[in-house]
Amino acid sequence: MVYWDNAATTWKKPMTVRQAVCQALSLYSANPGRAGHKMSLEAAEQVYLCRQAVADFFGLPDPSGVVFTLNCTAALNTVIRGVLDKSGRAVTSDLEHNAVMRPLAALSDHANRYDVVEWCADEDALVERFRRAIRPDTRLMICTHASNVFGVALPIRKLGELAHRYGLLLCVDAAQTAGVLPIDMEQDHIDYLCVAPHKGLYAPMGTGILLCRESEKIPPLVRGGTGSQSLSLLQPEELPDRLESGTPNVSGICGVRAGVEFVSKLGRDRIYRHEIELLQYVYDRLKQNPDMRLYTPRPQIGYAAPVLSVNIRDVPSEEVAAALNERHIAVRAGLHCAPAAHRRFGTIEQGTVRLAPSAFSSRGEAEYICKVFSQIAEKSLH
Amino acid sequence: MGGERMSNYYIHVGSITNAMRGKQLLETEGIRAYLHRTSHPTDGDGCGYSLLVSDRVDKAVNTLKKRGVRVIRVTDAM
Repeated sequence: MVYWDNAATTWKKPMTVRQAVCQALSLYSANPGRAGHKMSLEAAEQVYLCRQAVADFFGLPDPSGVVFTLNCTAALNTVIRGVLDKSGRAVTSDLEHNAVMRPLAALSDHANRYDVVEWCADEDALVERFRRAIRPDTRLMICTHASNVFGVALPIRKLGELAHRYGLLLCVDAAQTAGVLPIDMEQDHIDYLCVAPHKGLYAPMGTGILLCRESEKIPPLVRGGTGSQSLSLLQPEELPDRLESGTPNVSGICGVRAGVEFVSKLGRDRIYRHEIELLQYVYDRLKQNPDMRLYTPRPQIGYAAPVLSVNIRDVPSEEVAAALNERHIAVRAGLHCAPAAHRRFGTIEQGTVRLAPSAFSSRGEAEYICKVFSQIAEKSLH
Repeated sequence: MGGERMSNYYIHVGSITNAMRGKQLLETEGIRAYLHRTSHPTDGDGCGYSLLVSDRVDKAVNTLKKRGVRVIRVTDAM
């Protein structure tokens, strides 16, 4: 199989990640933070070591601010519902995944509570658009670091400076960029960073991370047992317990740490360059074919996540994906849970075929993909 | 009289994360700390963890507080 659906979740997982998960199932399968016996304390230590590794990776000084969630969607919901629960508005982009748009829409049942900024390639112009969209009651700037469909990146550091200048909190959806593009929470002025470790950090599915600088204490989405302050019916105030109730996914968390170590050892920048260069090759080849539709400029290092959306003329994208699947090429087509981005780029009717390589993808695979696209395009003419 | 208390003490810190972080912070100050499950949860705010220290407990408590680790109370380790 030629697996280029890594924007959905990465595959393969590195051997070290698989080993860490298996080891955790054998050695650290007690509930951490609930008991005093050896295995419980050892499991707790593994969880803490992961918090530390994640905090270091993303430039968060205090590992207590690393909160493990079910997935990135849960992290985003926690922030959106937490910050805007009682009042205030959000400002966001027109490229967002439904993990951002649906909770914003749900809060807007009775009155619209968010403003949408139209993306443009000029960074300073985009920042100015965000600035003009800020209202007196805007409390949260929430945006994707890069589109999960078209790969275009937003200037997070500049947006963070803007947000803080206006007293807003900045939440970044780093589902597509964590482990790929450089992120430093302090330098980028990020208050809340939402991560999908099963993507660019090569961790198992069923893991998510919310990193909090906690300038504001947000209430939890879920309340329950935390292994602490159990006499009280109130959720503990301090992190991570406030936002982490119930039994954690210890084996997944051990996989997260192994994934962070994998990316750090191989080199985040080296992985990113590898993936972008593969997409640049594909882009250059497909551009030569008049039957192919490309929607963005040639992917450039520093300005895009390693994701490329394409189409063959007006052929429905799911048909193309099915044809690719027959040739053992795994991709995702359709709307990618991001109709907003498709509307922005004019592909809401057709969807797109999304290509997303990983550290394990090869030039040979890229060549094969281009060859198969040409064959499908030719066949669809007859 | 001044000076540091030199017996064993439990510093009750509540959550396991506080305990792990606290242990690490104390070790960077050269203070050895051992993680324990709090013995009498109903004396305080419920279940949780404590750090057993046997020297420089005042410095240990100050270090924890200064670095943002909540100290619930300090009890003798009898």
